[in-house]
Amino acid sequence: MPNFKYKEGYYKFDPNDLFGHMQQEFPDESEFDVVIIGGGPNGLMAGAYLAKAGLSVCICERRYEAGGGLATEENLYPCFSTNPHVLYHMMVDYMPVVRDFDLDGPALTWIRPNNQTGMVFEDGSSIMLNRMVQDTKDSFKKYSFKDAVTFGKKIRQWRTIVQDIVAPATYIPPMAPIDITMAMQKTDIGRQMLDIGEMSAVDIITESFEHDKVRALLLYASCMWGLDPHETGIGFMVPLMIDRAMNKCYCYGGSHKFASALGRAVMQNGGLILESAGVNKILMEDGHVAGVTLDEGRTIKSKVVMSTLDPTTTFIDLLGPEHISEDLKDSVEGWTYDKWSFNTLHIATDEPPKYKTDDLFINDSFMNIVGFETMDQVLSHWDNVINKKLDTDIMGGHSTCESLFDPTLSDKPGKHVSMFQIHAPYDLEGTWDERNEEIKQAMLAKWEKAAPNINAETIISSSTENPEEIAIRFPQMRSGAIKHGDYKPIQMGCFRPNQECSSTDTPIDGLYVCGVSTYPGGLVLGGSGYIGANKVAEDLDVKKWWEPTPEMELYTKTYLED
Amino acid sequence: MSKDERFDVVIIGAGPNGMATGAYLAKSGLSVCVLEERTECGGACETQEPIPGVRIYPHAMLMYASPAPGFDQLELWKYGFRMNWDPTDFVAPESMLLACTDGWRSYTDKDLEGWGILGGLFGTPPFSKELMRSVFWTPPHPAEVEVTAENIPYMQVYKEHAPEVWSEDLLNGTMFDVLDEYCETEWFKTCMAYAAWASGAAAHWEGVAIPAIACAQLLTLTNMGATSFPRGGLHGYFHAIHRCAVHNGAVIRTSCPVDEIIIDDGRAIGVRLRDTAASGGKTIRANKAVIAACDVHQAFLKLVGPRELDPSFIQNIKDISLKNQTLYVSQYMTKEPLQYKDKFKTADGIGDITKLRASGPNAYPWGGVYPCDHRDIYYADVADADGFKGRPTLKPEHKMWFEAPSLAFDPSDCQGHHPKGHISAPFEMALTSPDYHIEGEDAPDTYREWLGEYMTDCYASVFDGLEKDNIIHHWFATGREVELRNTGLIGGTWAGSRHCEDQLWGNRPCPGLERYRTPIDGLYHAHQTSGHPGGLCLMAIPYNLMHILIEDGIAEPGNWWYAAPQYIPEEGKISADPNKKSKI
Repeated sequence: MPNFKYKEGYYKFDPNDLFGHMQQEFPDESEFDVVIIGGGPNGLMAGAYLAKAGLSVCICERRYEAGGGLATEENLYPCFSTNPHVLYHMMVDYMPVVRDFDLDGPALTWIRPNNQTGMVFEDGSSIMLNRMVQDTKDSFKKYSFKDAVTFGKKIRQWRTIVQDIVAPATYIPPMAPIDITMAMQKTDIGRQMLDIGEMSAVDIITESFEHDKVRALLLYASCMWGLDPHETGIGFMVPLMIDRAMNKCYCYGGSHKFASALGRAVMQNGGLILESAGVNKILMEDGHVAGVTLDEGRTIKSKVVMSTLDPTTTFIDLLGPEHISEDLKDSVEGWTYDKWSFNTLHIATDEPPKYKTDDLFINDSFMNIVGFETMDQVLSHWDNVINKKLDTDIMGGHSTCESLFDPTLSDKPGKHVSMFQIHAPYDLEGTWDERNEEIKQAMLAKWEKAAPNINAETIISSSTENPEEIAIRFPQMRSGAIKHGDYKPIQMGCFRPNQECSSTDTPIDGLYVCGVSTYPGGLVLGGSGYIGANKVAEDLDVKKWWEPTPEMELYTKTYLED
Repeated sequence: MSKDERFDVVIIGAGPNGMATGAYLAKSGLSVCVLEERTECGGACETQEPIPGVRIYPHAMLMYASPAPGFDQLELWKYGFRMNWDPTDFVAPESMLLACTDGWRSYTDKDLEGWGILGGLFGTPPFSKELMRSVFWTPPHPAEVEVTAENIPYMQVYKEHAPEVWSEDLLNGTMFDVLDEYCETEWFKTCMAYAAWASGAAAHWEGVAIPAIACAQLLTLTNMGATSFPRGGLHGYFHAIHRCAVHNGAVIRTSCPVDEIIIDDGRAIGVRLRDTAASGGKTIRANKAVIAACDVHQAFLKLVGPRELDPSFIQNIKDISLKNQTLYVSQYMTKEPLQYKDKFKTADGIGDITKLRASGPNAYPWGGVYPCDHRDIYYADVADADGFKGRPTLKPEHKMWFEAPSLAFDPSDCQGHHPKGHISAPFEMALTSPDYHIEGEDAPDTYREWLGEYMTDCYASVFDGLEKDNIIHHWFATGREVELRNTGLIGGTWAGSRHCEDQLWGNRPCPGLERYRTPIDGLYHAHQTSGHPGGLCLMAIPYNLMHILIEDGIAEPGNWWYAAPQYIPEEGKISADPNKKSKI
């Protein structure tokens, strides 16, 4: 009897028949100690720590490739790859994961150029933040000797704040504001931080610096990663952001290398990453988390589920409002997404951008701010964006020529890939459909004005990715929210995403949150995932194989112990 | 900088062959380092998302590897391997149709019966798996063994399971000869012939009838006609291999191109990375073996180099024929969805064909070959692509191409419901490889735009909706660009090199290299260009190579290992099959 039947109806897939046996598949139902929803940096980090602690871990990633924003993708197909997070590797010096998994060595190579953040002006003048403070001061001196001197003094104070407080606190669960105030009183630098914390970015910068170009650069550097320039109460981010704007790293071989290294750490320790595995439900049993189901119908059982997604997706879409208290529901519904997103223009060119500039180092700079003449213009652009507008006359952003540092991004020898990114609203007045091309052309024109060799003759291919498209590539970046939620005092620290969940556990037994909508927040910080792993290890009474970094230990001793 | 690193085995290239070799060896307890020059592992098992919400599959899409021993030996299910079975997606009898220039034509019971007999589906029990394994998952016999109709692996399988099929003609004839004996309609034969040619072995070549049929069979029978598509594409399948390797301790380094294979006293002892490699230490030592899972030209002409090789060997390597077609993959994003032209909307007594298996505005009934009226069209097409002419010269409606089933996409994939447009299935067309291009190897880049339009014209003979103002994006890469992206796909040829009789099994890639050993001690090759059975992401070369590494005392796998039934151990070596003694 042949068992290949045709003309007798549809063939049903029967896993017990001869052909089904040809490829055995992952089972329809499986069980792990921990399921992590989302294979971005935080999910991978949490998974790596917990897998190495001996837990069985399964990370479910919706996309075909884990890494989240740590992606290196051929956005200019064929032959040219880009990194959405090229500029956001800013805590490499502090991330415990780098040390704990010995990543900074053969597995990963970070480049940290001295020429970090330039700003070019129409008249060909320019200003720059360098890794080396004296170089930065030299650049400031072109405009104001006084500002250069002030910067030298300020940056010493700011760096101490970052090193002693902000950076280590990134990897320690948050304190309530009143506790922070108490704790910070213990040291001089703590008190200085509290003073800065009360101020807005605009105030901090205008109070200290006199020249408009200096102010424009420092304000852009403070706020480009999401801080509202007028917001008070989170001014401690200004020292952090400026110090980090002088210390960004490029992940050589592409950002995805970092994600891959983390993914391997998961797998080496017996964990599993399932890609193309969108979670559609968090299962509950007797008031306790029981696992997840996937879009494809598979069930993964687990007593612990860690979600790296935004609060709406985690609590409403996946868990269901019926499982949470009214209070939690209110706070989830009150969550606000970022005021701005990005519109990114990618280009492949015959040569790297050559800016008309008084400072040749601009052409080697990791990042250059293009399109603004004054601080007011920077502020007007952001005001526009917050009001869902884009004015192509007053519009600017930051550019980087990625292939300058990493030839692996271009498959055509000698050709280059660059990007120009502007802050942009998700709900654009006039709609993205209508205005995408106009804005792209305006960005190209701005870029060409600053770097005349970027023009129709030298551009091989180009593409844009607007905020709507960000939300298509990464649906959990709702409204194109690059940090899964606005940076404002009531959504920061112990309020991120709300008081009940900011230390990564939630009121639901077995459910944890550890994405960028949880303390400490977005960018490649590696904070939420690390804190989440610590919390789960403690709750499951698993021996931690890792130790806090020396900076964290000092911070704990100084501020958290009586 | 850091000290030299040391591993038992260093593997150059993290495509499916390199990575599966790494997985086999790591699982055997060896310390393994796999080096990849690209930013991402996977080689041709690749998925890209060039604009948000649109996945494209630049190369391999379909799962040919179903019968591979690797699935159970490496336990890929443990590492998340999943297929994309869609219960609505199995061949409906009424949709068994083939596209011809005048519309659909049905194929017949005799076509299918013949195809089933040749594919081992009507045996008791069916022997399809054994047959496929005997074609692909068997190392070539040792050079001292004379190859006869009695000991060619697939002939042994026929002899055992279907003696009535066994005949010398299977060995010497062409695929068309065999099809003429077993099948009925011209369009069925033409369709299968094209599928075989695109998969490596052509239907009009003598001596490769069964390998050619087996190539096409891997796509149809062993997957029961369903979309043979792993979840996440072939990159998803690759991930399972990758993770098996990593879980078993293999070290993987991306963005680490190799500059040189270090040879000392005729023995490969490691590799030196290129200066731009993303690694602190640029020299990596291999205690036991270096395995070149990069293409055969690169491995010998560049990484080993003429200093270590004799001129006749170098000539043999240079002569390995890549005169294969380049497959161009097109994917379109359109404002309005593509629709079958009227002549394809209905077939005799069937009604609206588009309703049979399609769901959603982007789904086409199935993948298929267009047009397959007659083998003359196939001949003309082969002549056009393999004839070194350069630009295609056929009329668009006579240019053959095939479409991967659009239902192959994951149901969760955003392709089916992209808010800004409709995404086509991947369309694939064979054109002249640029390395043999009469206008020079960069020529396809110079007339890239023309080529894009030509291909669109070809697809437009089947679909409405490919008008310029309806197309938002058309993604494709020229053969040259394919090679720049994936250096192992020389000239954009997917099968790496021809699967003709002169370069198959014991002759692949050339006599003397057929068992994956090379003139350099401790250096093995494991790329689709360089060993039996070639391409298609089969995990076959790694499995076959394991026999040789066991023979040479390099790998000692655990009891999960089993050897190919038709494997013949080499004299004086350790047998890879504990039940089959070599004459030591």
